[in-house]
Amino acid sequence: MRHRLMSLILAQLNMNFAISHSRYYYIEKRQRLWEGVLIVVSILMGAAVLSFGVFKLADAFYSSAAVIRQEALTLITGILAAQFLMLILGVALVISVFYFSSDLPTLIPLPLKPWEVLASKFAIILANEYLGLAVFIIPIFVAYGMRADIGLISYVLSSIIVFLALPVIPVAIASILSVILMRIIGFTKRKDMLTTIGGFLLVALIIGVQFYMQTKLPARGNEQEFMMQLLSQANSVVTLVGKQFPPGIWATLAISDAGTFKGFMNLGLFLSVSAISLVVFLMVGNRFFYQGVVFGFEASVPKRDISDVKLAEPQFPERTSLVALAVTEIKLFSRTPVFVLNGFIGFLMFPIMFVVLLLMGNDPEVAGLWESLVVMPEFHSIGALIVGAYFFVLTAFSGIPFSPFSREGKANIWFLRSQPVSGSTAAMGKALGAEIMILLGSIPGVGVFQYIARLPVSSLVIGFYLGIVSSFALCIWGVLLDMARPMLNWTDQQKAIKSNLNILISMLISTAVLFLLGFLVYTLFKKGYSGLVAQVTSGAVVTLLLASGLRVLRTVGDKLWRSIEL
Amino acid sequence: MAKARNACLLKLEGVSKTYRGSSTKAVDNLNLEVRSGEIFGFLGPNGAGKTTTIKMIVGLLMPDNGRILVNGHDIVKDPVSAKKSIGFVPDEPNLYNKLTGLEYLNLVADIYGVSTAERTRRINDLLSMFGLTSEVSDVIQSYSHGMKQKLALTGALLHNPPLFILDEPMVGLDPRSSRLFKDLMRKHCDQGYAVFFSTHILEVAERLCDRVGIIDKGRLIACGSLDELRKLSCETDESLEDIFLELTLPEGAE
Ligand SMILES: Nc1ncnc2c1ncn2[C@@H]1O[C@H](COP(=O)(O)OP(=O)(O)O)[C@@H](O)[C@H]1O
Ligand SMILES: [Mg+2]
Repeated sequence: MRHRLMSLILAQLNMNFAISHSRYYYIEKRQRLWEGVLIVVSILMGAAVLSFGVFKLADAFYSSAAVIRQEALTLITGILAAQFLMLILGVALVISVFYFSSDLPTLIPLPLKPWEVLASKFAIILANEYLGLAVFIIPIFVAYGMRADIGLISYVLSSIIVFLALPVIPVAIASILSVILMRIIGFTKRKDMLTTIGGFLLVALIIGVQFYMQTKLPARGNEQEFMMQLLSQANSVVTLVGKQFPPGIWATLAISDAGTFKGFMNLGLFLSVSAISLVVFLMVGNRFFYQGVVFGFEASVPKRDISDVKLAEPQFPERTSLVALAVTEIKLFSRTPVFVLNGFIGFLMFPIMFVVLLLMGNDPEVAGLWESLVVMPEFHSIGALIVGAYFFVLTAFSGIPFSPFSREGKANIWFLRSQPVSGSTAAMGKALGAEIMILLGSIPGVGVFQYIARLPVSSLVIGFYLGIVSSFALCIWGVLLDMARPMLNWTDQQKAIKSNLNILISMLISTAVLFLLGFLVYTLFKKGYSGLVAQVTSGAVVTLLLASGLRVLRTVGDKLWRSIEL
Repeated sequence: MAKARNACLLKLEGVSKTYRGSSTKAVDNLNLEVRSGEIFGFLGPNGAGKTTTIKMIVGLLMPDNGRILVNGHDIVKDPVSAKKSIGFVPDEPNLYNKLTGLEYLNLVADIYGVSTAERTRRINDLLSMFGLTSEVSDVIQSYSHGMKQKLALTGALLHNPPLFILDEPMVGLDPRSSRLFKDLMRKHCDQGYAVFFSTHILEVAERLCDRVGIIDKGRLIACGSLDELRKLSCETDESLEDIFLELTLPEGAE
């Protein structure tokens, strides 16, 4: 007999990756087999291209680092970035998976300990992290391994072990913090709102702590002497850089010194701390998880007293269908914690990072350089382009316009589909709602940027034009794609907003568009054209993108809408 | 905008539907008409094709063959006009959980273009009839199944639709609500409108419907007033239940 925890984990993995479902759908019933094959092939190809890019980058990085005998910087940079991202994005993931899974009402009545349920959910999160890590970290390990002078077998072995253990500490930390947060929120009313706010505060806290550790670290007396001493020793900078998150150092040394006593000790250290953090998480979870989760079944907004409902003379202003749909879209999104945590995180993460950069640039020398840069006219035209690009990146990163019909799900899409709205109105309402949320969300980031860049009004206007038009174009195209093949059969909201192929595809395309545009602008500048030319050119491109999107929407909108059958 | 008596509000002509990946027709060459002033009961055993038919009428599914006219508009060719004449409540009233009842009703009223005065009056009337007034400012997430159904009914009736379509409407309602609801259907028809609803509760159909259609394995096997159906089965004092059981015999059980 299989252990029940093992069965639970296997069942969860099966559901998560829809293994049984896909086998039934694609293989046994042979429905749309070509579509399944096409999806798998294109994802593998995309992953391969990305991996190759990372490999090339890591290889180039290695060459530069080798000059100062700091080759292992290649490893620690990748490992730290991966851990940092898993930690920040982990909060939304953990809260969604632990507290908003649709199978909780089935799992909780079963005779399982809270930690067993948590362990099975933790396994799912790890499995998902491995997929992303595989694309990002394995090429770095390969690039390092090919160049470094190191025993092959011990290197491969320790790399695999480190790879498998890499997500444990960040996800466990995010989990511990989230479980405690949710327990506290369990005491309150207005739970949806507090979950969202609390989640974002956690992310801000994590970024803040990282930043604090980083600024606090070098207790250096004579700077030059310190640097000399540091550089005289191979791979010494690793310890310095890694101070902000020590597990990163152990993981790096475990690989870079694989096969030696030092490497072995660091591997042991890394694994023990990973195991300890997992155990601590399961203990904390066992204590608090169920008290936090039960509220997920209650309504999240307090009921009103009957006395304060005065419906005798209510005002019901009329709105057009389009406005009503856009407003509803905003309400539906912003009141669902899982959507907000995943979709709005960029709105917060980017401005915080700007602020961090701002504080780090406190150096008088850097500040002086910046001062002279800011007044240059070239900088103004580049600044406008940066503002425009920020809107675009924010839109793509949020994923909000890439899943509006998927998010409705099987349960709710019947409503809009049975209403007298045309396909183009439905799509336009969704796109408009998404665009408004993104515009509001961009205010903090643009504000911080304007504070440091002090762009003249004309550049700002151009930046806004580029940004609004390009992000609305992205909204229209994203909504169209989601309308063509909405993923309606999800059981967890997390799936609709995160593990949704439409989002993956749209993000890949957006990245490609951004790179092409960037390349275009770069080429123009290199050929000596003025900033104005670059602005007009990119303005023309994004306007064309928007116009063509609107055109396609008008011609195929109704047809796509009709093809969503229930 | 009361319709002239005997106008045809719903017309199905040779409608068929086969679900993707399925080998049998869920609905097979269906022909029927619903006229104004009529409550039409759509009866059939589980899996007969009632929900499939209703989904095609309201535009959620496209028929493979045939034509569906709602108040003179083709649901495939001119869906927006056709849908404007429909008020629809599905079998599972899944509404947007994160909206309040009032926000939901206003959304519906905006989509159908119901004026401020009209919506205020109708929302107040319908809510107080269903006893939902005090909960309408709460989020729908906090509603019971029956409350959601009442809210869905209210939303479907806001624009006073010529054709009121319901899939298994009696399932979640308590006795008082279901009585209210029956009166409401009658009143709706007396305005010259029509009601089309599916059910497998035969007493309801027997007492309420002017005409019934019985569907089995996707085919309409009988259609007409109760008297006409009785004639069909030779024995004049049979109840609808007898007729139903006689007509929908499982295969091989003669
Ligand atoms: N989404 C679907 N995909 C495939 N087959 C379906 C689907 N929905 C219903 N069916 C099949 O179509 C037939 C009619 O179903 P339905 O219209 O729901 O019946 P009823 O509402 O009368 O109980 C049944 O045999 C059912 O199995
Ligand atoms: Mg049914």
